[in-house]
Amino acid sequence: MNFVGSIYKKMNSKHKIFLIILLCCFIGSVIFVFNNHSFYDQPIGKVVKTTIEDVTKVNDINGNEDAVYTQHIIAELLNGEEKGKEIHLTNEYSESKAYDHEFEIGNELFIKIDQQVEEGAELTGTIQEVKRDKYLMMIAWVFIFVLLIVGKRQGLFSFISLVFNAVLLSYALDIYIHNSSQSLLWICGISVILFTVISLLLANGLNEKTYAAIIATLLGTFISLLITYLVLLVTGEKGLRYEEMQFITRPYRMVFMAGLFLGSLGAVMDVAITMSSSIFGLYEKNNNISVKALIKSGMEIGKDIMGTMTNILFFAYVSGSIPTLILYFKNAAPFGYTLSLTLSLELARALAGGIGIVLTIPIGLYTTLFFVNRKRARR
Amino acid sequence: MNVLVVLAGILFLLMTLIGGRKGVRSFFALFFNFAVIIITVILMNDPNVDPVILTLIACVLISCINLFYINGVNSKTKTAFLSTIICIVILLLFIIFITNKAMIQGFGEEEIGEIGAFSLLVEVDFIKIAVSVIIMSTIGAITDTAIAVSSPMREIHYHHPNISRKDLFLSGLSIGRDILGTSTNTLFFAFFGGYLALLIWFKDLSYSVGEIVNSKIFSSEMITIFCAGIGVTLVIPITTWITAYFFVRNKETKEKIT
Repeated sequence: MNFVGSIYKKMNSKHKIFLIILLCCFIGSVIFVFNNHSFYDQPIGKVVKTTIEDVTKVNDINGNEDAVYTQHIIAELLNGEEKGKEIHLTNEYSESKAYDHEFEIGNELFIKIDQQVEEGAELTGTIQEVKRDKYLMMIAWVFIFVLLIVGKRQGLFSFISLVFNAVLLSYALDIYIHNSSQSLLWICGISVILFTVISLLLANGLNEKTYAAIIATLLGTFISLLITYLVLLVTGEKGLRYEEMQFITRPYRMVFMAGLFLGSLGAVMDVAITMSSSIFGLYEKNNNISVKALIKSGMEIGKDIMGTMTNILFFAYVSGSIPTLILYFKNAAPFGYTLSLTLSLELARALAGGIGIVLTIPIGLYTTLFFVNRKRARR
Repeated sequence: MNVLVVLAGILFLLMTLIGGRKGVRSFFALFFNFAVIIITVILMNDPNVDPVILTLIACVLISCINLFYINGVNSKTKTAFLSTIICIVILLLFIIFITNKAMIQGFGEEEIGEIGAFSLLVEVDFIKIAVSVIIMSTIGAITDTAIAVSSPMREIHYHHPNISRKDLFLSGLSIGRDILGTSTNTLFFAFFGGYLALLIWFKDLSYSVGEIVNSKIFSSEMITIFCAGIGVTLVIPITTWITAYFFVRNKETKEKIT
């Protein structure tokens, strides 16, 4: 406690106010998510007792052995007209729990209450969904605190930029949904410019480094998108299995391209800002450094980041398919068929993003050189 | 011609042109990583093997490929490797806790239509699979941040060999803070690009905020994003500390010998 106290004493009043506001937000939101039952229209029940009624061993045609458990649950209703009453529920879950859940005492569930047949009989219902908002809130706060403790001021800025981008994305999608006549790619194009300008300005402030990075990012993303588009056009999209694309309510090709566009943007921005700030750093250390030396060091830096950056996108995309892959394999689907069906779109995305990353290295280098030379001429 | 083959060809060409030999290695690293993921998934099919332990082994292999194969075995990659593994283990404990509590394993209601023809009773523990998915989506970003911090720290130590451990640690942290924003941004856009279809789906079917937040798919995506963000942030102080400790201790032992 002494340690915390001494840190608190060292802070200036601006930081103290910020800390107090932050703690108030934290405590307020945690209290809210743990007590927000009355804000939901759907009845919510808290599990107070569970008993296992039945266990059935199951074998399927592919030789998988599993067990199905039938669980009888008594839950206490936390909102609505029946608040405080107990309700009886049945839940079936398997050992693998791919699509079902085992519930324990204390879990909170969304419930649909069955119509009562006779007056005074015990309430029964069906479980519809798990209440997950409090866990989401908890992990969001862990993220915010880790970001602020490690990143201090920059951490705060990167959090602001994340929130801002999320709001902007949601707004852009609203515009798209209400005006279907407008192409998603156009809306994405305009939002990409906004995303780039806002994120880079927040990360680096108003200076030439940022301008060079913004121009390099935009050039890099648009050129890589153009290349991908041409490849899709020339090959007739052979090998892409759009039928596996999930959650499709709109023209799928457009959604795929827009997702690809957006997905590579962050990585391209990362490369562009790394290139421009390191080249500007070299120039600031030694104002007489030759253009040739700058190109050489720039390419070295580019080579260093190329491999790990392409891997970020690769893992972020491909990992999400692991559960589907396992399900296919376990159902004895052929190997090649499974891979092409579940991974073709993810791989295309990762490869297209990789092209964007690699292209941005020379683009970033020469855009920064342009700004460096302009600065040099002015001196 | 297959789209993937053409895209891979273009990527290979660009990486060789721009990156030279290191570019070629970076390209092959992608393939090795792909092979590691596929082999891990195949091994996960055996219900007697713990998927979390498999994932840890896969992470060690992947960090070896990303750090030692691309960048060579040297003091900066060694410290980055050690920090990656420590960070993964810490993150893992946290992820296991949150996936168990939030029950985000397996498939959501919205996905069940297309896999309905399959048997879902397949023995494999999908809670542990969910843990692996989150770890695997972050491993690329964690190794990237670790090497991005440890590599300039070695440069600082090289140019100022008499720097104290504390000063090296502080300059490492300041480098880390500079890349923090762009690293979280990279992950954020990568995931949102991937989930764009899902977001449009929620908006088109006019889900209420409560329904979106509590749905399995959305919350698992958000938990993945937050865990990834926590991972890349946590790896910064870990790498800084280990690198500072390692380099300055090296100097002291050298002095003792001479």
